[in-house]
Amino acid sequence: MAAKSLTVVVSQSPSKNPAKRHLEEELVAALMLDETVDVAVVPHLYNLDASHSGTMFLQSMRGHLVVLSWMYPRAAHWLLDRVGVKGHLGETLLEDLDEDEDVEIPEPQGIGGVELPDRNVYCLDLGVDSDPGVFLEEISRIVGELTVETVELMDWISGSPEPEQLERYLDPLSVLTGQGGVEPVKRRWYPVIDYERCTNCMECIDFCLFGVYGVDTFDRILVEQQDNCKKGCPACSRVCPENAIVFPQHKEPAVAGALGDVGALKIDLSRLFGNTSGLDTAVSERDVELMRDGREAVGASVGMPKRQSDRDSTERDDLDDVFDGLDAMNL
Amino acid sequence: MADDLVFMMGEFEALVPGDRRYAENHLWLQEDGDFLKVGLTSYAVRLLQDVYFLDWSVDPHSNVLAGQEIGEIESSKAVSSLFAPVDGQVLEFNDVALEDPSAINTAGYGDGWLYRFRTDAVLLDPQEYLAVLDSGWEDTQRIIKGQLN
Repeated sequence: MAAKSLTVVVSQSPSKNPAKRHLEEELVAALMLDETVDVAVVPHLYNLDASHSGTMFLQSMRGHLVVLSWMYPRAAHWLLDRVGVKGHLGETLLEDLDEDEDVEIPEPQGIGGVELPDRNVYCLDLGVDSDPGVFLEEISRIVGELTVETVELMDWISGSPEPEQLERYLDPLSVLTGQGGVEPVKRRWYPVIDYERCTNCMECIDFCLFGVYGVDTFDRILVEQQDNCKKGCPACSRVCPENAIVFPQHKEPAVAGALGDVGALKIDLSRLFGNTSGLDTAVSERDVELMRDGREAVGASVGMPKRQSDRDSTERDDLDDVFDGLDAMNL
Repeated sequence: MADDLVFMMGEFEALVPGDRRYAENHLWLQEDGDFLKVGLTSYAVRLLQDVYFLDWSVDPHSNVLAGQEIGEIESSKAVSSLFAPVDGQVLEFNDVALEDPSAINTAGYGDGWLYRFRTDAVLLDPQEYLAVLDSGWEDTQRIIKGQLN
């Protein structure tokens, strides 16, 4: 019997909602009996910090990964990338029924990830369906997709697990989930950059005044100090011209990583009716956090976006053609 | 100490203990050392039913304004934002309730408190809160029925 080529990780919801717990348990139970995959359980990914055993467990995985979590797929994918659990974006066929199919999603034009190992990371959003069968079917499809490739085999047990082997699997699970008081997780709040969309324009680093952003050795934008971020504040996400900044726990889907209307500042409907633009909202959200820190509010005087003037509102003129011509010359 | 009061929500007896004060958004506030402890009243918990998840969108020691959104609650019947009762300062959150919000159901006037708070605002006494419940009950029922359709 071939060794398993795929590890499935179930990331638990921080909510005690029995419907969510039930779905997680059903999935784990079914996957443990599945001879084609390994399964592990970790706490809610977003709350894991770099030193948590759950993070280190994920970092130790070398083969293809399927990660089931209560987050939009791109939020989970880039969150994992940030902690070094990297891989190519695995294509999933699961669709969120709530998403409007008529909305055209532009092809991502971002700078992409770096140093991606030769494996796929598939992120599935547990929120799309309450039926475990939907996820199990998708995992089977992924297993099928992967068996046509040559994969590095994992040195886990293979074949049908005996009861005592199952127990061995169960043991680390309890450690990883923090049950029994082992390694509790604290609630966290920080942005996640989707590098498939991020163009490295640096609007976020200009706008945020709390030192969350920095650049890496390749001069790529980076969420450097996650815990400098102000709980509940999603202002940088609103100023991002590419919708590349995700706050997975935010209640507005566009901020939490849903794909939809991209390129314009994102506006909550209630704010729309209050006649407030996304940028105004971001400015006031930032001022609230500045004043909480005992600092002066800066309003719209600092770090205003330079690249998101409404491009469609003015007709192209000759000057635009001249500039585009210059760009094409690669000066 | 004032007597405990009861508000009848249909058949359900929502207790309004006499040993604390209240805010119109169905929070109780009770002196606890130099500060106040804040929790959800029995009336609010009856509407929410089983609480599954609690999350705060402000950091401890944040100054807040009356009606400012400070968190979220998920229960078997509802998902709702949580708002500051009056102007004041949220000092610290109850980690027990944050970790396992079922305490809000089992001991809403005790271990299921939400956060410590400091305020100079005038609060409602039990009688005044009961009057708020009386005047709002018809509306509340209408809102719930409206949401069910």
